[in-house]
Amino acid sequence: MAQRHETTQQRPLPNPGWGPLSALPGNPLMWVLILSEMVVFAAFFGLFAWLRIGEREVFDASQQLLDPVAGGINTLVLLTSGLFAALAVQAIGRGDKRRCRQWLAGAFALGVVFCVVKVMEYADKLGAGLMPETNTFFTFYYLLTGFHFAHVLFGLGLIALVAWRISHDNVETAAAFWHMVDLIWILLYPIIYLLR
Amino acid sequence: MRTPLATLPSPTRRLLITWAVLMGLTLVTMLSAQLGGDARLQALPLWSAGLLLLSTAFKAHQVLMTYLGLRDASAAWRGAFIGLVLFTLLLVASGYLLAQLGG
Repeated sequence: MAQRHETTQQRPLPNPGWGPLSALPGNPLMWVLILSEMVVFAAFFGLFAWLRIGEREVFDASQQLLDPVAGGINTLVLLTSGLFAALAVQAIGRGDKRRCRQWLAGAFALGVVFCVVKVMEYADKLGAGLMPETNTFFTFYYLLTGFHFAHVLFGLGLIALVAWRISHDNVETAAAFWHMVDLIWILLYPIIYLLR
Repeated sequence: MRTPLATLPSPTRRLLITWAVLMGLTLVTMLSAQLGGDARLQALPLWSAGLLLLSTAFKAHQVLMTYLGLRDASAAWRGAFIGLVLFTLLLVASGYLLAQLGG
């Protein structure tokens, strides 16, 4: 244990010159974004849980109208897409641009699958007359999943951009953003779709 | 005999194992939420809600450590990010418990 600690101590900082952020791997500014996004979503999740206390019956009845299996499938899709993004970072780390682009293409394709499932879900809910103003639950459902969906779209744009302008830093930064999108969904799915 | 997984470089093997764990935990989460039949109309038993939140915390931990590479960051940063995830889930769990007690 002491030896391991010593090894960690001797390892050079990933981002020297970035002050407190110098100990973080990858682009330090991406970590600022990740942290701020996590704080924003944490506040929304906390507010959602707080409002549920006073309107439990409304929240539970509304949650019954969601499709938790579609949400679960989308979780599996995003996690696999995240794996592909991580493998793309490893490939560019070896200098294998061709393989990196292939993994990025896989991550992008699964991101599109996520969007298709989500759009179908939105169409179903809106077709059933379930609007953001229907009740507090659906306000949060559209707000949180919509905000996350916007991040997925932005992430897809980033992945496409770095596949075109490929470099280690670019791929690592886009992958970090994509993992953050993953992370938020991992928290969002059980809170909105499952917990009752 | 070496399995195909054992022949992979260590970082790739770690990624694949993490991915498999995340997929498995997602399925456990879905199962523990009892999505089928009339059970879906009932409130979750406390053990099920607890399992759901615990597996969510572990999944978030794995994404942070392995996918995002926080394993290589300083202990302070690891603590900050994991702490934020735990704080978020604690807020949600508190709200959930208060709602169940109130109902």
